[in-house]
Amino acid sequence: MIARLRYHFSRTHRLTLPRSYASDVPSLKRPSMLKRAFHVLYWLPLATAFTHYFYTIKTVRGRSMQPTLNPDTSALDDIVVFDRFTVISGRPIEKGDIVSLRDPIHDKMIVKRVIAISGDVVKTLPPYPAAEVLVPEGHIWVEGDEPFRTLDSNKFGPVPLALVDAKLSYIIWPLDRIGPLRPPAIPVTTMGIPRNSQWHSELAAFERARKRQARVTKNQNLVNYEERGAV
Amino acid sequence: MFRNSALKKLGLGCLHAVNLACFLHLFKENVGSPCLTYGPSMLPTFESTGEVAIESIISHRLAPQSLARGELISLKSPINPNRIICKRVIGLPGDTICVDPTGLKASTTEHVSIPKGHIWIAGDNTSCSTDSRDYGPVSVALIRGRIVARVRCFR
Repeated sequence: MIARLRYHFSRTHRLTLPRSYASDVPSLKRPSMLKRAFHVLYWLPLATAFTHYFYTIKTVRGRSMQPTLNPDTSALDDIVVFDRFTVISGRPIEKGDIVSLRDPIHDKMIVKRVIAISGDVVKTLPPYPAAEVLVPEGHIWVEGDEPFRTLDSNKFGPVPLALVDAKLSYIIWPLDRIGPLRPPAIPVTTMGIPRNSQWHSELAAFERARKRQARVTKNQNLVNYEERGAV
Repeated sequence: MFRNSALKKLGLGCLHAVNLACFLHLFKENVGSPCLTYGPSMLPTFESTGEVAIESIISHRLAPQSLARGELISLKSPINPNRIICKRVIGLPGDTICVDPTGLKASTTEHVSIPKGHIWIAGDNTSCSTDSRDYGPVSVALIRGRIVARVRCFR
């Protein structure tokens, strides 16, 4: 009985037993490397499915989302949580969300902000040939926050919703900016507390959001392919 | 030692079942599986009442460059993200394509050049298909896999 208890203790607390006890219990050997590897492999589908359909952690490289992501030229990139469940469960993507999507031209993932959804009319920025564009059904218009260093819808036009992979929900790495991503709002001013740099950056983010929204007008005269009876 | 060992066994069994389901689903989404096709858009090739085809996803993942004109592909619909459609590849990046040779949706003289990273797709049944003639060239990133075989049903 004592040998049993000692055996159990050794399994839970990772102790090594003296040889005299070890001989009492037949299955005392620690699981071998091979067995452990097999266990990891066996449970891998569950873990992979979780990252595919619920949440995943990724590093954001590049300067196109400045100043929201990677605001300074530090060597370490932002680490963020992407929410795939929102996209897969079919909840509509809204204006102002930051999404990761597959680049429609090159084979890579990009992180951009949704400017307009289907049915909106957007005033485009220089590289785009037309001055105004109607975002077609099932498409969105994405742009980077930094207009000079980004390859976005102004280059390749509206993107299909099917290319959207995940929605950015939480910043975890630079510890001073840790927290969920909130829609920009006017920062509160309280008596006695001086306006610091954070207050000013929040106000600047709100101003940028208002500027972005000013370029989008709603228009619902869309061609609906399904209603015309074609499949 | 454990009083509720039956409950524990049940929970572990459920976890194993979920794990197996995850494995099968990931296999279907990343390697390939039989799938059901229906709709009149691919009519001479696939029956409109429903037919089973083998979709190979891994062949596109491993060799995306080997896509050729005339191949059947499955892709996410550019107008409805929840829908998977099956079409034939007509043009590759850099090609100049006549938008609609039948003249149903555009005049037969209208031509378009396909941009980089895009392809031109069309259904086999031109009179009843929503394809690149409606929404233009589609991005290569929308492609899921290739349709490599059809399961013949004896009726």
